[in-house]
Amino acid sequence: MSNINRRTLVKGSLAAAIAGTALSRAAFADTAEPILLGVSGPLTGPNAQYGTQWKQGFDLALDDILAGGGINGRKLAYQFEDSQSDPRQSVAIAQKFVSDPKIVLELGDFSSPASMAASPIYQRGGLVQFGFTNSHPDFTKGGDFMWSTSVSQADEQPLLAAYAVKKLGLKKLAVLHLNTDWGRTSRDYFNNAAKEYGAEIAITEGYIAEERDFRSTLVRVRDANPDGLVLISYYSDGALIARQARQVGLKQVICAASSVYSPKFLELGGDAVEDVHVGTRYFPEDPRPEVQKFIAGFKKKYNGLEPDAFNAYAYDAMNMAAAVVRIGGTDRKAIRDAFTKVKDVPSVIFGTATFDVASRRVKGAMNAELVVRKGQFALWDGKPT
Amino acid sequence: MSSWLDYTINGLIVGNVYALVAVGLALIFGVSRLINFAQGSIYLVGAYIGWVAVVQLHTPLPLTIIFVAVVAALVGLIIERFGLRPLQNSVRIAPLLATIGISFVLDQLVMLTFSPNPRALPSQLPDVRFQVGGGTIGPLDLLIAGVGISSALLLFVFLRYSKLGWAVRAASQDRDAAMQMGVDVNRVNQAVFGIAAALGGVSGLLVGMYYNQIDTAMSLQATLKGVVAEVVGGAGNVPGAVVGSLLLGLVESYGVAVFGTSYRNLFAFLLLVVVLVLRPNGLFASARQAPPEPLTGTFIAPSRPVRIPRWALLVAVAVFAILPLLPVSFYVLQTLINAWLLGMLALSLTLVAGTIGQVSLGHAALLAIGAYTSALLSLTLSVPVGLAIIAGGLMSAALGTILISPSFRLRGHYVSIATLAIGEIVSLVILNWESVTRGPIGISGIPPLSLFGYDLIDPKSVYWFSFTVMVVLALLQARLLSSHLGRSFRAIRDDDIAARAYGLSLNRYKSLAFIFGGFAAGVSGGIAAHLYSYINHETFNTQQSILALTVVILGGLGNVVGAVVGAVALVGLPEVFRIAAEYRILIYGIVLLLLVRFRPQGLLGTI
Repeated sequence: MSNINRRTLVKGSLAAAIAGTALSRAAFADTAEPILLGVSGPLTGPNAQYGTQWKQGFDLALDDILAGGGINGRKLAYQFEDSQSDPRQSVAIAQKFVSDPKIVLELGDFSSPASMAASPIYQRGGLVQFGFTNSHPDFTKGGDFMWSTSVSQADEQPLLAAYAVKKLGLKKLAVLHLNTDWGRTSRDYFNNAAKEYGAEIAITEGYIAEERDFRSTLVRVRDANPDGLVLISYYSDGALIARQARQVGLKQVICAASSVYSPKFLELGGDAVEDVHVGTRYFPEDPRPEVQKFIAGFKKKYNGLEPDAFNAYAYDAMNMAAAVVRIGGTDRKAIRDAFTKVKDVPSVIFGTATFDVASRRVKGAMNAELVVRKGQFALWDGKPT
Repeated sequence: MSSWLDYTINGLIVGNVYALVAVGLALIFGVSRLINFAQGSIYLVGAYIGWVAVVQLHTPLPLTIIFVAVVAALVGLIIERFGLRPLQNSVRIAPLLATIGISFVLDQLVMLTFSPNPRALPSQLPDVRFQVGGGTIGPLDLLIAGVGISSALLLFVFLRYSKLGWAVRAASQDRDAAMQMGVDVNRVNQAVFGIAAALGGVSGLLVGMYYNQIDTAMSLQATLKGVVAEVVGGAGNVPGAVVGSLLLGLVESYGVAVFGTSYRNLFAFLLLVVVLVLRPNGLFASARQAPPEPLTGTFIAPSRPVRIPRWALLVAVAVFAILPLLPVSFYVLQTLINAWLLGMLALSLTLVAGTIGQVSLGHAALLAIGAYTSALLSLTLSVPVGLAIIAGGLMSAALGTILISPSFRLRGHYVSIATLAIGEIVSLVILNWESVTRGPIGISGIPPLSLFGYDLIDPKSVYWFSFTVMVVLALLQARLLSSHLGRSFRAIRDDDIAARAYGLSLNRYKSLAFIFGGFAAGVSGGIAAHLYSYINHETFNTQQSILALTVVILGGLGNVVGAVVGAVALVGLPEVFRIAAEYRILIYGIVLLLLVRFRPQGLLGTI
């Protein structure tokens, strides 16, 4: 009995899927329909928070785009498919997007295993995979349909190293990094730059994302006797490390990568993150118009909430997607070519973004040197802490 | 040398944190012989209820604790009444799957209610620090230690000296006998789940305050560490759980001291394997204690499998074989490719878990071994992909069997926990053995599938390739099960003492099962590596192992067709529920619970 049910179920869902594709093909001709982008990202699972932040950034950008008349009169919209940042699901989503003619461009995924597993499908299917948080050095090597506005760590980490070594005068550093492809790549770029500027790397410690207890790690750090701690972390683990460092009595200067730049870092870290130095790509009082527009718009749309780095990446990515679609129209190959043509798109992260056609990435991220003062991010005033 | 004092203190502090979860797990295991995978979710619920109390209602700490304990206890009672009690007369493996389903549902409910963003949970204790060694400890450290140790002591006294406590122990030793003596077993179970849940909720609250951070991803980690600590101390032994937790904390801390942070969990799981191998019942099991598990035969009860006529199977295979010729979208094909890959893993697991009774919770490690072997061979030595995949299967078979062999002397739940640990160890070795595996950077640019020089890149050919491999493996396994080997396997599962009395060498047969199973899983991992073109240590994670076990239990343990049906169902359902967006995993969890409730022996039944 259950056997029959099972098979009817499977066949039923297959039939529904076939019907679904037929339907979507029929609807394609309608130009009153919005231009649709596919987003593959985590809405559930351990990385769900980042997917939620993407949505906030996307929605704000879409409001702006619509207010500016849309894309040649047509509305821009996205279809967000939850991948849980799991490669098994991101490849299925990739096939779904590739075989859906309404999707003109894809954004995401979040983690490297999920994004890069899907790359061959996007490449062969001829749909641009626009991975705006994919810093893995091999991501854009997946093919000429892989483009990224993720700040290259080769760009970002020397800026942080310059802040820590040249500006703050730190000579002996302890580097704590998330032991992922991002953290590992960043650490290498940071260490090289810091050594070049004349600092010594006293100790490096990689930790896994689920780690919450750093007290023993910090004893190792203490014994290495550094004069500064460098956190290549996200905001939640960065806040944990800062708190525990102060608890075990480490009083050294702490510098952190831009990925901790979030109001959550202040909330989770409390007093412990006071005086933490952060190299970021923008800051609240930044006079650049695109930053002011982003921050004011964000606060207005989300009840006074401060945007964070991931909100900004998503906001920029959606604006970039709009700029590309304006040039390339709705043809997937023309959109790929539009990435090579698009110039000086206003961007929170880059000021203006233009792709380097050879690496398919954007170079020249903005730099702001911040410090936490009285529980707020503020531009560093040049005073030592 | 003062650093060693600091490492010791830090180890004890984090051990305290583990103890809170471990005590609750031990209590439940002691009575119902169940690893409660939902304990971490109750811990999560406790943390968020605590957040509501502290941040929204501004309750003082004693009131917060009472509030969290009461709400968590209620959740525990609901779980016991509606999730587990209906299953008490079914196979023992069903409640395990039910707790996995419950944890999905609870985690998702919390995520949907509170959003997945982490939140600060401010401590309500005065911020004074005491200098101890080179570091400091605060009042929260003392409170956590106090709650952990006093709850263990109270439970110990309760179990030993109170009437309800006697009833609990009687029920845990022999449920039927206890019932005959007039013990209300349901009331006992209620009491135990209520207490354990209250404890779990309070521990979530305190740990959340300790780190000033709560998020929805904390539940699985809490369960994993809690299970390790509990088993080290002797499953079901409440004071043992506290000692086990402190020991775990110390080993991790010393591991960090000697080898560095990235080796931390490696030591936690190695400790577990060593303890299990040397003292299979945990450190504090007394010799007089009754065996911790009933015979495996009652762990996996045979049921009447659903008989599927041969022609129906042939028709099904034919339909799926010609599917790519029909106008189906590549999305459907890709989903089914995923199902066939998961099906191979499930075939492997259904053999070792269902047929020979070694319920493995670390099966993703076999995928990883196969995937890395195949990827590295084809990439660095330019071995043809087809051969590389076979080599991946062989490597998985060999390495998997060697790794698992220390746990051959274990039974029931202990096998699951040992394999869980071995799975974690493999993943951590991949992360740390950078010269071979490229560590966290992972392996990119893995060549696509190819056969005899022809690239298989379009979804149709990948579909046919993976489908064919899976069908061949399934046929081989079906053939194996109908031979004398299959009967020997089942004999070992049903009664290993009787099997040994008949002259079956247990280790040899278990090895054979793992060799065959390891091959199938390794091939699946190898194909996946070439399909994805990029893998790293996170590609094959614990969730994958849990998913595989879910598939196997759902399909019916030991049931070859069931494994494939389960794989199609569990890959397909989350895709079908995509329209429900954020709610899809919640719906998936509920469907899983309903399936367990109404088909505890699996869709097609245990063979």
